[in-house]
Amino acid sequence: MHATRPPQIVAFGGGGFSMEAGNPLLDDYVLGLAERERPRVCFVPTASGDADHYVVRFYRTFAARCETSHVSLFRRDRGDGAVEGDLEAHLLTRDVIYVGGGSVVSLLGAWRAHGLDRVLKGAWRRGVILCGLSAGSLCWFQEAVTAFHGAPTVVRGLGLLPHSNCVHYDGEPERREEYRRFVGDGVTAGYAADDGAALHFVGRDLRRVVSSRRHARAFHVAPRDGEVVEQPLAVSYLGDSERDLSAVA
Amino acid sequence: MSIRDVLRDPQILAMGGGGFTMEPDNPALDDFALTLVGRPEPRILFLPTASGDPTAQITAFYARYARRASATHLSLFRRHGSARSLADIVLEQDIVYVGGGSMRNLLAIWRAHALDELLAEAWRRGIVLVGLSAGAMCWFAGGVTRSSGPLETIAGLGLLPGSFSVHADGEPERLPVWLAAVRSGELPGGWAADDGVGLLFRGTRMVRVVSSRPGAAALRADAVGAELVRHRIEPELLGAAPGRLAERPVPDAIRELRELRRAMRR
Repeated sequence: MHATRPPQIVAFGGGGFSMEAGNPLLDDYVLGLAERERPRVCFVPTASGDADHYVVRFYRTFAARCETSHVSLFRRDRGDGAVEGDLEAHLLTRDVIYVGGGSVVSLLGAWRAHGLDRVLKGAWRRGVILCGLSAGSLCWFQEAVTAFHGAPTVVRGLGLLPHSNCVHYDGEPERREEYRRFVGDGVTAGYAADDGAALHFVGRDLRRVVSSRRHARAFHVAPRDGEVVEQPLAVSYLGDSERDLSAVA
Repeated sequence: MSIRDVLRDPQILAMGGGGFTMEPDNPALDDFALTLVGRPEPRILFLPTASGDPTAQITAFYARYARRASATHLSLFRRHGSARSLADIVLEQDIVYVGGGSMRNLLAIWRAHALDELLAEAWRRGIVLVGLSAGAMCWFAGGVTRSSGPLETIAGLGLLPGSFSVHADGEPERLPVWLAAVRSGELPGGWAADDGVGLLFRGTRMVRVVSSRPGAAALRADAVGAELVRHRIEPELLGAAPGRLAERPVPDAIRELRELRRAMRR
């Protein structure tokens, strides 16, 4: 672990290896934060039910350039390559913990049953970078909008970030409407992100918004004077900087 | 809802192991489950939650039931694109079939979705609950699980009094852990079942013990004072009638192949 690293979370509205095959910009951004030649990255696919194909895609994406591992909460008895024994000791010594998408409600239920909520909080405080998309974004916030079974609803997340969160903001129009309505009805103000946009928090505060797609957007959604205001945030498209760098070289 | 529906007794079929996920070539227990519903083409819902909704289990479920029942599954990890509430989906079933896996995850995830209460309601309404391994122990006061790696006791939903231990023959190291827990009072007295053995409960009373395999059995154990009192229960062997193989449905691909061969011979 890095004693010097502050708590950091990179919350993707959608994107990364799970959703953007061939576009490594968001994943590369997170790995860059680790400031290590071969970052130690652990994948937590709980929200997908530890789906095999998802675990395989993680290793395909990261194994060549990172020290990779994954946590399975469904096969702790079988040792099929997942971390065995002391999960906490393993997770606290990673550079990045990458949480996959799926159902945030199932994710939180399973994490709490195994005490992983507490472990992840500890890891965050110690400077392990937490990142994820979709359910893997929603989970870090105080409140989160999920639309997994039926109409969108609000669930309580781990609360590391004292805001609310809405993902796939461009992909699912009813989420946008519902999120604004929820915030109007008293849900904590917070952040919405399109697919391809990622919210980078240092401590509890938003430091930067980056994107893997040129037109991906993010918003701060908060009540103001009896209305809900959706304020667009400045987004840095990561592809440009890449191109600039190659042009310089 | 007819009067007959209202008067249906709560029923649970708890299997020590077996059914389509463990016995792909032996449909005896799964056939028996269908007989617990007094209607043709029953509606059966599969919950593969305890294993994280793996495709292989879901495929095996449809292979077993799609021809004889109105079969669907409910995923708590993947999106169906259905806007129907969990209550609507669960309460219209005749049978809810719960797969094996991690009992700790199963209960935690059900609770997170409030599915534990919904399944208790389904049971009270007479929807037959069927399950194996974690999907069987979950209905009892408690059982023995490997959800966190080593074997340990775990509390269940408590619809059925007593404890239940599974795979008594298939995983022999499990039984001593259960017996010790019953002896010490950590778990209430109850039943252990071999793979292939199903215990049928009507209300909270155990009424039948059936088996898909000759030689398999169930065990009842109770702590009386500091002593463990145990006795073996011989199950009824299912599907022992001759000619049973011929009754099994022939998959389309095989039927097609046979027809093709017949045609070529002509």
